Parts: sequence; structure tokens; C-alpha cells
Amino acid sequence: MTDDEGNGQAVVRLTAVRKEYGESVALDGVSLEVNSGEAVAVMGPSGSGKSTLLSMVAGLDRPTSGTVTVHGEDLGALNEKGLALYRRRRIGMIFQFFNLLDDLSALDNVALAAQLTGTSASQARKRALELFEELGIAGRRNTYPAQLSGGERQRVAVARALMNRPAVLLADEPTGALDTRAGEQVMDLLLDLNQIGQTLLLVTHDQQLATRCASRVIEVVDGRIAGERALERTP
Amino acid sequence: MIGVVVALSTTMIVVALGLLAASSGPFDQAYTRQSGAHLAASYDRTKVTDAQLTEASKPAEAVAGPFAMATVALGSGQQPGQPDSMVTVGRADSGGPVDRLNVWKGRWADKPGEIVLNRNPVESSNGPGAMTLDSKLTVANGGPTLTVVGFAYSVSMSADAWVVPEQMTALHPTASQMLYRFADAATNEQITAGQTAVTTGLPSGALLGTQSYLALKALATGEPNTFVPFLMVFGWLGLAVAALIVVNVVSGAVVAGFKHIGVLKALGFTPTQVMTVYLAMISIPAIVGCALGVVAGNLLAESLLTRAFENYGAGGIGVPLWVDVAAMVGVPVLVALSAFVPALRARSLSAAQAISAGSAPRAGRGLRAQRWLSGIRLPRPVSLGLGLPFARPARSALTLAAVVLGVTSVTLAVGLGTSLTNYQTAASRVGAVDLTMFAGTSGPQPPSEDGPPVAKLSDPEDEALLRSTAGAQYVTASADLPMRLAGTSQDLRVSFYRGDFEHLGYRLLEGQWFDGPGQVVVSERFLRQRALAVGDTITLDSQGKSVRVRIVGKALYNSGEEVLSNWATLQLVAPETRAQLYEVQLQPGTDLGTYVEAVQAGDSGLQQTSGQDAGTFVTAVLVTVILLTLMLGTVAALGVFNTVVLNTRERRRDLGMLKSIGMTPAQVTLMDVTSMAALGAIGGLLGIPLGIVAHRLVVPAMANGAQVDVPDFMLDVYPPQLLAVLVLAGIVIAGLGALLPARSAARTTIAEVLHNE
Repeated sequence: MTDDEGNGQAVVRLTAVRKEYGESVALDGVSLEVNSGEAVAVMGPSGSGKSTLLSMVAGLDRPTSGTVTVHGEDLGALNEKGLALYRRRRIGMIFQFFNLLDDLSALDNVALAAQLTGTSASQARKRALELFEELGIAGRRNTYPAQLSGGERQRVAVARALMNRPAVLLADEPTGALDTRAGEQVMDLLLDLNQIGQTLLLVTHDQQLATRCASRVIEVVDGRIAGERALERTP
Repeated sequence: MIGVVVALSTTMIVVALGLLAASSGPFDQAYTRQSGAHLAASYDRTKVTDAQLTEASKPAEAVAGPFAMATVALGSGQQPGQPDSMVTVGRADSGGPVDRLNVWKGRWADKPGEIVLNRNPVESSNGPGAMTLDSKLTVANGGPTLTVVGFAYSVSMSADAWVVPEQMTALHPTASQMLYRFADAATNEQITAGQTAVTTGLPSGALLGTQSYLALKALATGEPNTFVPFLMVFGWLGLAVAALIVVNVVSGAVVAGFKHIGVLKALGFTPTQVMTVYLAMISIPAIVGCALGVVAGNLLAESLLTRAFENYGAGGIGVPLWVDVAAMVGVPVLVALSAFVPALRARSLSAAQAISAGSAPRAGRGLRAQRWLSGIRLPRPVSLGLGLPFARPARSALTLAAVVLGVTSVTLAVGLGTSLTNYQTAASRVGAVDLTMFAGTSGPQPPSEDGPPVAKLSDPEDEALLRSTAGAQYVTASADLPMRLAGTSQDLRVSFYRGDFEHLGYRLLEGQWFDGPGQVVVSERFLRQRALAVGDTITLDSQGKSVRVRIVGKALYNSGEEVLSNWATLQLVAPETRAQLYEVQLQPGTDLGTYVEAVQAGDSGLQQTSGQDAGTFVTAVLVTVILLTLMLGTVAALGVFNTVVLNTRERRRDLGMLKSIGMTPAQVTLMDVTSMAALGAIGGLLGIPLGIVAHRLVVPAMANGAQVDVPDFMLDVYPPQLLAVLVLAGIVIAGLGALLPARSAARTTIAEVLHNE
């Protein structure tokens, strides 16, 4: 499912990352590694800095100091265009509120990610359709986001994230806006993806999501890593 | 943003309305105040008596005269700059039923030996040769010396000076002046009818000349009337663009503020309170912008008006108060109305609905367009951009309309510029005359140390020299003579030509060129100002001599005071005059410098001089057109700018998502610029025909105002390649307007947007 190297190598590496927003410190000397094929959950209370950490890995924001390396690329060395290309090729992102374009059909939302790389519309739709099949939403491909359920929207978002075969799948509270049943379906989906080799970095409040999908949990409190533990996944 | 748009729009409105309001006002006001003559006529005193004139004048509504009238030649010893002669009329007082004179300095003459001069109070009186009170004027040929006791101004231009009637005997009057007002004098036909009525029964040949009120009005308003048509069109365009932009900006600002409105409601504000707060918030920058716009508009309009109407002597020319009041009231009302509709919608929404309505456009709009665009073979940022206008159709329509009007303005401006440049090129005979040589005012004369060199050879010798020098193709000699049209006090410059006149570059528009003595060719403006036509006969006076000449043709040039004639006619008036100018067209490939050197080796007194005047008025019009176009283009681009800002603000979540999946900053910019460039292209296609129609209306109207003809080359100014370029104007206006906010959107930090929305 990924372009990644073999399991066990560090795909994501943060070294002494510090992020300041004016006077406040969101991350304070965070260092961590995520290995290829691993599923890591970052947990912590609101405002602890876990979403900021994800933004650093996604290249959506830059650290005040420290380095972020993903798939061997030092994000600090990339300009804005370089970061955009990095996001396009190396990562896929899933958000709490799906962030789908309302005026595109589900299929076109997913195909869009490939079309930005220059892939033709027909090829992009073909690849998107494959993902729709894999994710079990092929019947909803021509539906618009407003007509989809929360769970379906998140599946579409996952399909979009997987479109360019990312090295790392980043998920920010992926079940936060879903009801219990839809949340469980998304959890299953993420677990399946990880089990076929997709590296996963999750940010969540949801203990159940963490224990079900992640093999390791990192606790962040006040911008620092307060603890780390390995998990036995619950079925 | 609202303040800037309102200020620019208000400036445009004030300039346009100010010019429109003032275009005919000052002349009419001054004429009414002075009870100006609808017709001033001069009669031959040897053929008609005063009693006959008085009897014949009964059909007129009001009459002044008969007044004895003489063209008085002034003796030598006058100060430099003073006139050689003056049309002088004997009048006992400055009042009366017609042509009530405004004695604005000194007093009226009350005994022989005193004279009152006609001068516009706004004209400078400090120039060289300017006469002041107590200045002395000596009449030529042993005539009396007259002391200036006052300055008066006649809008009717009935004379250059006035003396008491008893003084006229010593001035040897040759004519009698009658000043008439008619009950109906709005058209040339009515004036002609009036003239016929008051001259019926008078001896044949008694009438020497007339001067119509309409001709004077045309003379005085010619320049402003040239401005008015295009200012009117630009004014309406500006008004429309301004209104569209104001509606777009204000309604957009209200929509963008829905979230704020929702929060206020959540805090406990009543719907009406919310609406009032919001209208007040919009109104403050609008009122400030409006006030600034009124000030700027007044300054801009006044500089144009002062220049255009300085000949009226009416004083106090500026933007009428009602224009300022209308702008100060109308623009804020427009703003309030623009804000009112969306604010009313906000009022009816619940707090939660208002908060969510402000964050994004309503979902589901333009779905078909987006679906179609997603499948076409275009880079995805481009196809996404093309679909964006469908998300906010009303806003896109307003923006499109602004771009259409912007392109209309540019098309009109380009057409006007080309028309005027074509006209100027034709009128100034650029390309036909390679070299103009000055021979001195008369000669040969002994050279003085201070004065310019004068020709050393005789006139025929100089012409022969110019013709025989290698490289000459055509040579024309000319002499200018100041003359007057009999019965008027207007100075004319008559240019008498000989040689290869037909190669001088003049374009003949009607009739024929002169081919014998007693023939002249004039301009359309000359004919209109004097209500004459080709084929009419006029009498020209100069140096005590009169010559009757027939107008045989009309040529393209824009002076109303210049008459073209031939050397044979000059022989009837001043046979001893030598040519002052030689205009030479060289054979292709001839070096101008070498030719001039060769000529000056033969006669060192011949001096190369600059050719035709470039035409400052055309330049002034062009500058004004460019300024107005830039202003309109800027306002239209501001509209686009505003749309992109609003769209970007509303779509920040989408932009964040697109960036999160790898859209580069350049692609974001491309998408946003494309969204507006598409509107720009459509705007170009719609705006060009409108601009061409406007051009077809404005150019003839301007030509009518300027009293010139409209040859085809002034109208056929849109070749296909230019039209293709003009389509780009819309894209450029839209693209420039979108670029800044698009680049700003491309740099947006997206992390926070994506996490918090």
C-alpha cells in the first residue's frame, strides 16, 4: 500500500522540536521517531501541543527550532513549494472535519489529489475508483459531500489521503466528529491499512481509537513528551 | 476597502456631474445677466440711415443702436503687444435694453477724449503691453489721443472699445451697429428668421456683416463641449462601475460579517440592534470616503472647468453645490441600500445560522459546471479556478459587470486616443512638411543685434534657391496677414500660399481648392462659429482695405480663426508682402541637415523653424482620457480585488485542504487568478462592443462640440488585431485585481484553519 522502505526504519524523526506562537510555547524540545509500518498515537489534553506536532510532521507549519525529517527529507530545508510537493508525495492527511470540497463529487474530491501532480483526469478517476472499491464506498462515488454520512465522508477523506500512496498517513482526531458506529468503521479502516503496511501517525483524545489502531502511544503534556508506551492492540 | 472604493467612485461622480452641470451654465448666465445681443449687425452708413435701421428693427424684441462704428487704426508709438486697430463704437452709456456692459474697473466715458476698453475681468492685465487706467491711445493719421478711463466686458463681443457718440465724428465711422434680441433665438434658423425680419426693406448691400449669439456661444463653449461628451460617457461608466463596486464590496462585507452578526446575536443583541450596528459600521468608512471623494472630485473638476470656461468672464466657475450635495447624499444612500439587503437577511437568521453562513458559500452551487470542469484537459488548478465563480453567482455577476464596464472604458479610451491622434496627425500635416524655413516678417531688412535673422535674398530668389537645392521635392511659400471679418471684432489670421500648395498635407473635406483671386478655404469651425457655408461670400478687412472673397472649400484643420487663401488674393490686399515661411517636402532619402546647410549657404537669413503646433488641446484631452481610464480600470480592478479577498476569506478551509494535499503556492495563485481572468475574458468580449458603440457616439459628439468634421479615419480605429489585444484588457484588469489577494492566499498559514474549522 505504500512506497515506503522495509519495516523498522524511522520514517518520521523529530529532533528537539520547539514551536513558539508569540509568548506561548506549543512544543518544547520534542524528539520522537515513527518507524515504517508502525501506527503511533499521540495523545494528550486539549492545548497540549499534539495537533501542532502533527502540523510539523505534515509540513503545514515550521518549527521555531529543531528538525523534522520525514522519509529522509529535512522539512526545514524545503521552501513553500518544496513543502507542497512533500505533502503531495510523502504524506496523506485525514482531518476531524473531513475537509472535503462541497462542490466536487466524492470521486472528484479523491481524484483531485492525483490531478494536482499532473495525472490526467481519467487516470486519476480510475485510481480513485480503485480506492473507493477497497474502502467500500464505490456506490457513493458520484455523491456530493453534503449528501454523505459522516462515516462516508471520512472514508472519502481517507481515500483522498491514500491517493498518492503516502509514506505516512497522518490523522487528526479522525473519529472526533463521528458517531460511535461510524467511528468504529473508521477505526477498522485505519487498522486494516496499518496491517497492510501503511505507516500511521494519529492524534486523538480517543483512548479506544489509540488502543485499537496504534502499537505505541506518546503522551504529550504542555508541549513536552510526558510518556510513551507500547500497546497491545485490542481487536 | 469600502472607504477607498467609495472615495474613488465619488470622485468620478463629482467630476462627471460637475462638468455636465457647468458645460453650458456660465455662458448662458453671463449672457442673460448682460441681456446679450442675439444678433449684432453692422450696416454701411453710406447706404442706410439711422432712421431706416430703427424703423426696420421693430420686429425685434429689444434693440440697441444704431451706434456709429469704426475700425480705428492706432498710430505708431504704441506699446509692444497692443493691437494695431480696434473696432470702436460710440455709446452714451453702458446700459440699455441689449448688451448691458459690465464696467468692472474705472468708469464709463462721459466726454470726448475718453475710451473704455473691452476686457474679460479674468484675463491677466499684467502682461507686456497691457493697458491700464489712464493709458493713452493715439489714433493713426493724426487722429485724437484717447485716455483709458474704464474697462468693461461685453459677452456679446460687440466692440473692442467704446467712446461717447460725440467722439465718433473724429474717428470717421464707416458703419452703424445694431444689437438685437429676438423672442426666439434658440437655433440658427430662428436667428436667421430674426435677421430677415429686421433687415426687410433695407437697401440692398447695406448689411455688411453679422455676428450670431449662437456662433459666439459655439466659440466660447467649443473646448468644454469637446470635453463634455467623453466626460459624460466616462461619468456614466464611472457611476455604474462605482455603484456596482459599492454594492459588491458592501454586500460582501456584510456577508463576510455574518459570523460577527451571529456572535452579537448570541450575546443578546436584538435583530434590529444587530442590523443597526452593522449599517453604522459600513456607513462610517463610506461617509469618510465620500467626503474625501467630494473634495478630490471638486479639485479635479475645477482645474478642468477653470481651463475650459475661462473665456466667459463669468467668474466663480466650479462644481455647482447641488453636485456636491447629491454626491454626499446619494453615495451614502447607495452604500446603505447595498448593505441593507444582506443585513436584512442577517437579521432574519438565527445566531447559529448567521455564524455558519458567514464561513462559506452555500454548498451545492455550480455543481454541473464543476463536474464538467473536473474532466477537461486543463491543469487542475485552472479548472478549479474556472469553477469558482459559480459558487457565488451574484457576486461573480457584479464583478463581471464591473469588468465589462472597465473594458468598455479601455476600449473607448483606446478608440478616442487613436481618433484624436489620427485627427491631430492629419490636422498638423505631419509627414507632409519636412522642413519649415522662416524668412522674417518682412524683408529684406538690415539685421539687428537683438532681432532674429531675416532673409537676405528677395522672395522669388529664396523660393528659387529652395527649389534648386538638391533634395527639394515640393516648395510652398506663405505669408500671414492679420485681418478681420467685416462686421465683427474678431481677429483672423489669413495665410496666403503659393507654389506646390496641393502637396502641403491639408485634407480638403468639401468644395475645392482656390484657383483664382478672391477665394478662400476655411475650417468647419470657422464656418460654424460664423454660421457660414461653402459658397458664401465674406468681406475681409486689413490695413484699411477690404476684399470680398468667396469660400470655395472646407479643409481639415481645427482653427476657427485661420483662413487659407492664395497669393493671387494677397495681391488684392497687400501686393508688396513677401513670403515669411517656406514649407519644403524633401525627396525620400534626402538628409535634412545637408539640405538646410545648402540652403543657408545661399541665404544665411533663412532659419529653420518648428513646424505645426502639436496641439495642446488634443494632448489635454488625451491626458484626461488616460487619467479617467486608469481611474475606472483601477476601480474595476478594486472590485475584482475585493471579490477575491472575500472569496479567499470564505474559502480558507478549502484552501487549507488543497494546500494540505499538495497544492503549491503557485497553483493556489493560478487558481485564484484564473477564477477572475475567466470573468475578465468574458468581460472583454462583452465590453469591447459596448466600447465601440460608445466610441461611435462620443467621437461625433466631441467633433460637434469642437466644431470639426468627422472623417472616416476618425471612426474606423478598431482593426482586428487591436480588438484581440483589447480582449486582454479584461483579463489584465481582472488578473491584476486578483493577483495580490491570490498571492496572499497562497501564503496563508493553513494549520490553524484546518484544525479549528
